[in-house]
Amino acid sequence: MESEKKKKRGLFGVFGTAKEVMYGMASHDMSRTALRTRASMEHLFILITMGDLLGVPILPPYYSLRLMPYVVPQISTWKRRMLRERDLTDVLG
Amino acid sequence: MNNTLVAIVIGIVAIFVGYNFYARRIDRLVIQADPKRATPAKMYMDGVDFMPTSRNVLYGYHFKSIAAAGPIVGAITAAALWGWFPSLVWLVLGVMFMGWASDYSAIALSVRNDGNSLSAIAHKLIHPRTRQVLFVFIFFYLLLVAGAFGTLVATTLNNPIVPLGIIALGVFGMLAGQLLYRAKLDLILVTLIAVGGTLLAVLLNASATGAVATAFKNFNAWLNGFAPPKGALITVLDPTRPAGQQDVAITVSLVFWLLFMFAFCYLGAILPIWRYAQPVNYIGFWITALTVVVAGLGAILAFWIKPGGHDVSTFTIPTFVGFGGPTKVLAVSGAIQPLWPMLFVTIACGAISGWHALIGSVGTARQIESEEDMLPVGGGAMFSEFTLGLLSLLAVSVAVTTAGTTSTAVAIGRFADGIAGFLNVFGISKVYGSAIARAAFVVIVITVTQLLFRIMRVTLAEWLGDRAPIFRNQHVGTLISMAATTLLVVSGTWIYIWQLFGASNQLMASLSLLVVTVWLVATHRNATYAALPTVFMYVTTMAATLVTGYNLWVTIFTKQLGKAGHEIAVVGSFLTVAIAALLFVAALLIAVDGVRAIRRYRRQPIATAPEPGRVTA
Repeated sequence: MESEKKKKRGLFGVFGTAKEVMYGMASHDMSRTALRTRASMEHLFILITMGDLLGVPILPPYYSLRLMPYVVPQISTWKRRMLRERDLTDVLG
Repeated sequence: MNNTLVAIVIGIVAIFVGYNFYARRIDRLVIQADPKRATPAKMYMDGVDFMPTSRNVLYGYHFKSIAAAGPIVGAITAAALWGWFPSLVWLVLGVMFMGWASDYSAIALSVRNDGNSLSAIAHKLIHPRTRQVLFVFIFFYLLLVAGAFGTLVATTLNNPIVPLGIIALGVFGMLAGQLLYRAKLDLILVTLIAVGGTLLAVLLNASATGAVATAFKNFNAWLNGFAPPKGALITVLDPTRPAGQQDVAITVSLVFWLLFMFAFCYLGAILPIWRYAQPVNYIGFWITALTVVVAGLGAILAFWIKPGGHDVSTFTIPTFVGFGGPTKVLAVSGAIQPLWPMLFVTIACGAISGWHALIGSVGTARQIESEEDMLPVGGGAMFSEFTLGLLSLLAVSVAVTTAGTTSTAVAIGRFADGIAGFLNVFGISKVYGSAIARAAFVVIVITVTQLLFRIMRVTLAEWLGDRAPIFRNQHVGTLISMAATTLLVVSGTWIYIWQLFGASNQLMASLSLLVVTVWLVATHRNATYAALPTVFMYVTTMAATLVTGYNLWVTIFTKQLGKAGHEIAVVGSFLTVAIAALLFVAALLIAVDGVRAIRRYRRQPIATAPEPGRVTA
């Protein structure tokens, strides 16, 4: 981890920082929106296929089991997002 | 003393001292930011909302999220009412002792409370009803922002040298969305096409005697021909204008450009966010960033470089108008503008702002990678926004114009002239500089306004959707929000709407600082750094709300009630007063609950760690 985090020094460091700040101002919001859109679609898919994990059985367990290996890596984050409490101000984030 | 360089040096010293000697101390001793503690971004990482992000990226993101029209318009208006000196003093002291504390603390609060929003934490720490009251508060706060910003955009677009750039922004926004997400073109190429095209449109429309501006002028004249003799649909009273000029016409063309803005924002509220709102914001970012950076450099260099022998670094507006503002002008209508509390709500963002706390708690806090990043991101972005407010103050202070009037058109023109002067240092003609400044201003405001209508629609659906399902319809929610905004805009009381927006914004900041104070008390930390600004801003904003209510009563109800042709102004003003009263009561309820919560937590003993090996019940 430490080696990954080696910071560039001098002019390259300044350039890298400026690049990151510009990205943050110009594009980070767009990236998050794109990720959110993708996540919504994926969550919908997992809800349909694995809904019985949350008590919402939609698809027969046979198909759920067939799809299980492909969905396993996403189940923890999916459950976290689905069950997280939200309120109005979340729209701002 | 009265030049741009001195003000910039004061600003730099304020940032250096405030950040290094106060903010860092609080971060180290009170909050005790610990890089080893896991942040919500790491604990609850979901790849979307909760996602550890580099502090540089997050700083840029947070700054972009908080920097809107507030620091620009607040400084312009306050400088006209009280002079540049009190405005500068409030900007400096506000950001040093309160602004950074509000932003940073909201982020720290959320990070230490599992990434929960301010309202969720208030629900947990203060009282369950606090959350509901906060939602009501937020909706009307957004409505006031929309009313204030709507007037600014419509007034600026009504100027024939502005519209083409904004129309181009919408068109190129759609095009950029399509090219980026459908055609999958390279981002740099799309940026060059969209930003270049929009800037070209701005410049094509720059000359007041050019073909494009003449076409828009004729178009406005044609529209105004529907309501002879001067296109006035209604006449309203602007109490901040000199005697004899207080009757202001709400023209057909102004209403048209207001509707144009609504159409622009409607697309932003209804269309998928990638198709319109995001690309428009992206193009807008480049236009405003380029303008602000170049103008900022120009403001510094203006002390040494005098383009064409003209001095654009010396302030031309009064240093200090008086504690009562321009009393001679105000005496005509009977309105009052005492420096305290009104200055402190007229300049909202740039000194302290509640909007930042809202954004910080739900957006930024969930991406904080290490607790050490909270200060550079939250505090750093706030200090950066202060520089935007300072730049606006400098721009308006060097523009040659009359003091004492806060008419929106005059104020924006003054800002544009000042920025044009700074751009002129680099050889950019004043005509083009002024057009770019106006376009950048509208871009900043309109991109925020479209987001506002999106949020208001969601708020209405959540708030009333269960009782009346029609509010869940996105078109109905958006149209209701726009109708209420129209009523505020055509009431003609922009200065009051702005000050009420400022008051509600500052009140929002006090509410967030109150939640922080309760949390600090509940965790037995020294809460003074948050409690003092809370009390000051609470008292100031409540007083400002009362003064605004009084001004509306004196200048609108007693002078316009019952007069033919003034009905809409009276109804709009009544709505403004009702909102003021509602915000006042909501804030009072939250304050009472907050004080009770503080007392409750103070009575609780400090929990101590059990001794090793000892079994406790």
